[in-house]
Amino acid sequence: MRKKNLKFLFALYEDFDRARDAVAELKILDLKETAVEDIELYSPIEHPEVEEILGEIHQPIQRFTFFGAITGAICAFLLVAAAAQSMFTVQPQGGKAVIPIPADLVITYEGTILFGVWITLLGFFVYSGIPRRLTRLYSRKVSEDQIGIEVQVTPEHADAVRSTLEKSGALEIREV
Amino acid sequence: MDKMKDIEWAKINKDVLGSLESPRMIFWVVLAVCSLLVAAGVAAEAYQYNEGLGVALMNRPHFWQLYISNFIFWIGMSHSGTLLSAVLLLTNADWRKPIYRFAEAMTLFSILTAAFFPVIHLGRVWNLYWVMPYPNERTIWPNFRSPLLWDASAIFTYATSSALFLYIGMIPDLAICRDNAKGWRKKLYSMLSLGWMGRAREWLAFRKTYVLMGCFLVPLAVSVHSIVASDFAMSIMPDWHITSFPPYFVAGALYSGCAAIITLFVMLRYIFKFEEYMTVDIMDKIAKLTFAIAMVWNFLNFSEYASIWYSNDMYEKEVLIQKLIGPYWPVVWGMLLCSTVAPFAMAFEKFRQNMWAMFVLSIIIQLGMWLERFQIVSPPLASNHEPWTWAVVWPGTVQMTITAASFGWFTMLFLIFCKVFPSVSMYEVKELVFHHRRVSARSEIEDLDKEKEEALRAQEGVA
Repeated sequence: MRKKNLKFLFALYEDFDRARDAVAELKILDLKETAVEDIELYSPIEHPEVEEILGEIHQPIQRFTFFGAITGAICAFLLVAAAAQSMFTVQPQGGKAVIPIPADLVITYEGTILFGVWITLLGFFVYSGIPRRLTRLYSRKVSEDQIGIEVQVTPEHADAVRSTLEKSGALEIREV
Repeated sequence: MDKMKDIEWAKINKDVLGSLESPRMIFWVVLAVCSLLVAAGVAAEAYQYNEGLGVALMNRPHFWQLYISNFIFWIGMSHSGTLLSAVLLLTNADWRKPIYRFAEAMTLFSILTAAFFPVIHLGRVWNLYWVMPYPNERTIWPNFRSPLLWDASAIFTYATSSALFLYIGMIPDLAICRDNAKGWRKKLYSMLSLGWMGRAREWLAFRKTYVLMGCFLVPLAVSVHSIVASDFAMSIMPDWHITSFPPYFVAGALYSGCAAIITLFVMLRYIFKFEEYMTVDIMDKIAKLTFAIAMVWNFLNFSEYASIWYSNDMYEKEVLIQKLIGPYWPVVWGMLLCSTVAPFAMAFEKFRQNMWAMFVLSIIIQLGMWLERFQIVSPPLASNHEPWTWAVVWPGTVQMTITAASFGWFTMLFLIFCKVFPSVSMYEVKELVFHHRRVSARSEIEDLDKEKEEALRAQEGVA
């Protein structure tokens, strides 16, 4: 959620190392003046080390997977077991099991995976924040070969942050 | 692969996006041929729909024939794409990166092709909805104990999960397309990219999701073809009621899928000019993998023959003898020639690194695997427990036309996909380039450090 009266600066860097240095500089500035509200890093590829510079990003998607899979297993088993019960009332089974476990396990297995995959996808949407509209500051260079840093600042600190971004080698800076 | 570290990121975007605009002329020729095949298939199906399944020459004892063989063939082909992509993702094999997208698309389109065959095979197409899990007017549900229903649920799960796996893996590339496209393409990519901007939290969530989905897809892919094998193995027909059928089917599916990946690899490399990304080195690795899987399949095939022979079951033995020297011998020996003997060519490095030789071999292997599916289905029905029902029937014009149309349909869908969506993953190739550069920069620094140390030691020695 964007706070009111905040300024947004967006700087583009040639590579990830420069962007990392810029974030480090911003953190030093923030320690001195509490200038930075939030920092977001945009890149054309995944950088697993990004959490080292931005701090831990908590995304327990695996919980969605786990509960999705369990829900799938239960729903699928209930479906086939209930269908067998319905058959039992209409068609006598003649000595066959009412709920045949080996046969039902196959459908249960497929249900586990189907729900697991779908609910994992839900977790992805929840934690990645998409679908969403593109921000006004977004640059298509980020999807090509440059790294972007978006900084939320209070208006009185915007100049200090801008000069920090420039000093750390920004190729272009946008402001909203 | 080392050559890839010199490719600029912007060039990767340019090359792959360029493939969406200007393929070679052969693209349109192949597309036109495929469209004609599909039109012929639609006409044949319309004829069969009006006249009944008799025109397909399906009658007792041949209830199952080419349609079911084709169904197994296409399901099998779907195997390698998603399964290999997921396995290579989980094992961090970076040679997967330039080729996984088209392999996953191959999976999806082969499932879509396979899904037609049970419907065509039904004859009474209008009753297709009976397979849906809901009770009919007598409150009787479909019988979930039947392998055919397991099949329906497994294929539905596999098709859905593979489509999602393909789509999720494509989102960052769709954002690149969105940023560079105009007109209808811009609208399409904007909608499909869901506002992806490459933020850190998006990448982290993306990677976690992708790996978790990969973990699901590996066992799922194995289960799907095992269940297809159960359609046969759960019956009491000689030559079908075999314990090793599920692993045999899975190995066969992987084998034909790998061969299909090689065919499409060479095709895409030529049509879309991807020589820099689909390298000889990658082809060498796929060929080695295919060779290894071929040997597994051969082992399972011959162990099946051996177990039938030594079981001394007269019905099983009779079918095996009939297969090898009976009326279907050209199919069985053709299969052995194409899928058992021919792959030994891949033992030679020069052969593995020759694109067009691999292209021809991959088609020979697929032909062999198609014959394999036919010899699984037809010969046992022609010589089963009841000698009075023995009859040899070969597929007629209607079945062959629909079969040819399925190849046209698959290729047409695949080519359209490659024309609309990036068939090489841009962001993964960028990652590959990035990591190779890092590794080579690190090794250069280590070399310099070593040289410095040696120089210092030498100076100390002199002193």
